[in-house]
Amino acid sequence: MPEGTMNSAILEMKNITKQFPRVLANHDISITLKKGEILGLLGENGAGKSTLMNVLYGLYKPTSGEIILEGEKQEFHSPRDAIRVGLGMVHQHFMLVETLTVTENIILGNEPGRGGLIDYKEARKEVKALSEKYHLEVDPDAKIESISVGLQQRVEILKALYRQAKVLILDEPTAVLTPQEVDELFEVIQELRKSGVSIIIITHKLEEIKEIADRVYILRRGELVGERLTKDVTQADLANLMVGRDVVLTVTKEAKKITAEPIFIIENLVIKNEKGINAVDGLSLTVRPGEVVGIAGVDGNGQTELAHAVRGIQEVNSGRILFKDEEITHYSTKKMIQNKMGFVPADRQRYGLILPMRISENIVIGYHDREPYVRGINLNLPKISQDSEVLVKNFDIRTPSVDIPAGNLSGGNQQKVILAREFSRNPEFLLVSQPTRGLDVGAIEYIHSQILAMRDKNVAILLISLELEEIFSLSDRILVLYEGKIVKEFDPEKTNDKEVGYYMTGGEKEGAAV
Amino acid sequence: MTAQKLKPLFLTIIIILAVAGLVLYLASVFYGLFFILAAVIVFYLYKRMITDKATAREEMRAALKKLSIPGIGILAAIVIGAIIMLFTGYNPLQAYRALFYGGFVKNWHVSILNASPLIFTGLSVAFAFNAGLFNIGAEGQYYVGAMVATFLGIKLGLPPVLAIIIIFLVTGSVAAAYNYIPALLKVKTGAHEVITTMMFAHIARYLSSVFIRGMGGDPNTSAHAYVTDPILESNWLPRFKQFIPSANYRLHTGILIGIATALFVYYLLFYTKWGFEIRAVGQNKDAARAQGISVGKNIFRALLFAGFLAGLSGFNEVLGLNHKLFENLQANYGWNGISVALLASNHPIGVIFTSILWGALNAGGQYMARTEQIPNSIVEIIKGIILFLIVARYIYSYIGNRIKKRRKLKHPAETSGEAAT
Repeated sequence: MPEGTMNSAILEMKNITKQFPRVLANHDISITLKKGEILGLLGENGAGKSTLMNVLYGLYKPTSGEIILEGEKQEFHSPRDAIRVGLGMVHQHFMLVETLTVTENIILGNEPGRGGLIDYKEARKEVKALSEKYHLEVDPDAKIESISVGLQQRVEILKALYRQAKVLILDEPTAVLTPQEVDELFEVIQELRKSGVSIIIITHKLEEIKEIADRVYILRRGELVGERLTKDVTQADLANLMVGRDVVLTVTKEAKKITAEPIFIIENLVIKNEKGINAVDGLSLTVRPGEVVGIAGVDGNGQTELAHAVRGIQEVNSGRILFKDEEITHYSTKKMIQNKMGFVPADRQRYGLILPMRISENIVIGYHDREPYVRGINLNLPKISQDSEVLVKNFDIRTPSVDIPAGNLSGGNQQKVILAREFSRNPEFLLVSQPTRGLDVGAIEYIHSQILAMRDKNVAILLISLELEEIFSLSDRILVLYEGKIVKEFDPEKTNDKEVGYYMTGGEKEGAAV
Repeated sequence: MTAQKLKPLFLTIIIILAVAGLVLYLASVFYGLFFILAAVIVFYLYKRMITDKATAREEMRAALKKLSIPGIGILAAIVIGAIIMLFTGYNPLQAYRALFYGGFVKNWHVSILNASPLIFTGLSVAFAFNAGLFNIGAEGQYYVGAMVATFLGIKLGLPPVLAIIIIFLVTGSVAAAYNYIPALLKVKTGAHEVITTMMFAHIARYLSSVFIRGMGGDPNTSAHAYVTDPILESNWLPRFKQFIPSANYRLHTGILIGIATALFVYYLLFYTKWGFEIRAVGQNKDAARAQGISVGKNIFRALLFAGFLAGLSGFNEVLGLNHKLFENLQANYGWNGISVALLASNHPIGVIFTSILWGALNAGGQYMARTEQIPNSIVEIIKGIILFLIVARYIYSYIGNRIKKRRKLKHPAETSGEAAT
């Protein structure tokens, strides 16, 4: 908890207002960061927290308001100015050059040496010293592409420290990490605080705020709605402040006994990726009607290949996929759609939606070549609009019209467009991958309840998610995916995230298969 | 609803007014413009009947906004062109007066003649662009089309209209088939269509020399060294003079076929399932594939149809204007087609207007050079600047999209706000 040194403010943002065309992203926000403090910035997506931090980091110029660092008024024209006075930011998406080494990435833009020459020896030494000083162990000679996401994040933090950051801003730092990596990150953050760095964490995850932050500001719709000491506040209070109404933190699913025979079966599936390695390596599973089977796993263990194979957009090397006693392993996507198999892809902007096309077109796609949406070769545009409007209403997609491009919608509403399309077609099987990635609490709650509604309609659902919490709150059975295989099956009632996380990272790899 | 019942009546009135106005205007009978204006007004009234006032106005405003982007580009290019002329010692006012008078009034028929082949190649490039493909070889497909049209024009002795229809279809089909190999390579091996169609364009270009010598006319009776025999007169496209006596005798109806083709392409792209699939593949082939749309099939369809369209520019030139094929290795219809398609943001209707603009700038430039002794190259400079500004717009919107995307990833408030609130 706070030490004696942290009474003086190191950073103040006073009355910050940021007006974008049509949108007031920040309205009169004042926050203070004390020296050596871990400050949380909590809010839903679109609440304005990233805008506020981008103002602080010099990416945006505020419409009005001022930034005071160590008693001096600052004016940032670009991140360069912010970095120079001691601000560092680790973005949600890392800004690293994959093919360069850790050292090269850290010194990039600030290379030691004279003239055009870089003193690599010196650089390596500095990086090494830095990582020892802050206990951020990382191999200075490793290539970025060969290290894990958690280590990449350390490199980002080291990069900021190398530039002598006194204030470190972390934007959604845990979004890409496994539970174990989150724990390690939090240790690192504590370590940094001890050596005098002040830290701001942007997040929409309540339990993280509770765990790591000393104090938290809550933003909603561009306004500051509260400031709390985390020791005095409950997660439920924070959620209510953040959303502005009472939220159900985890959807409650009714326990039910599923006795039906499996409708969807995968047997010994093998899929080679582009490098010729078995991304999916002898995977078997079953899903019964009315059951949600959750696949937990760290990203890159075959989730994408599995999902794409089930949609018919990825070649299968061996093994079988069965649906309703019919082998569908090599069916075309079109046939999968005809078989009433729905698909919610993990990368919704790449595989789910055609962003420049209209919402109505995105809703009809897949069914655009069948009655009643087409007559002969002519699209039945009035019918397409009419049905889309009904779905927009039913799925609470917030848009003025179905004729605007899907790309104009927020992430949550984009995902609802996909749900509207896939869930309205009376599916018998659904593959749902990462349904709430990057979405805010309100949208997550809605999407989870929709998925459970489909479960109660007796749909067989295969859920792939990197969020353990999601897996736990939706699944009837949990399968752990590691290196292309199911290594363990759990009953969600009889396990916990630590145990699942252990298997996700390769614990008891051998002999643990179901 | 009475408005719904009146729909066919309104549409008939609009079509009659628009067609009459268009034909008159294209034939240099400028009061045709009033008919066109009347058609627009009737259209607006009709819109207001079926929707409410605010929506109709909103739609009109959106249409105007769309037009304003190229409009600003053109205006800026004119201003920059004026500055260049001032610095090089020419009087811009004089030059522009001659340019516009020549291009849009005095030699309007030349502008139209220039525009008609560009409509076809422009449509070809624009159509392929909608599928995410760059048909840079439209030039080659023009040569193929020109050769086929000449060959059939000479050999095919059938009743006039029937012959023209057959030549139209065969010309397009052969040019489409000419894109078969590039399409196959693209789908099977991923060979980029920019390279393959460009190489095929060179083959067709030089093949035309061989063809012309094979179909050779008498060099003694022709001003041009290498030229084919003339095509049968029964295979000529009808001319405006046949129904509007005041029209220039060279002005043929290729432009009308071009406009009709543009309308057809528009219909195909936005009102049919084929167009839907092509646009889906063009905008995001991964998402299209995940919804059961075959990417390969649509690439095939798009490249072949693009070839069909570009081939028609050969049909237009041979049957409409020259009635024979000259040796001309620098036809440039394909390259200019890329320009007009870009300028039209790959919208088929836009291509009509940008082709006419291009044609008028060429015609006006020649007129300006002749009457004011201002070098024609200034027009090329202006065209270059217009294109640059348009391409710069693409760069701008590319950057804009990236910023939007980045913002959306980090803080959707600004971008989602438009739609969500």
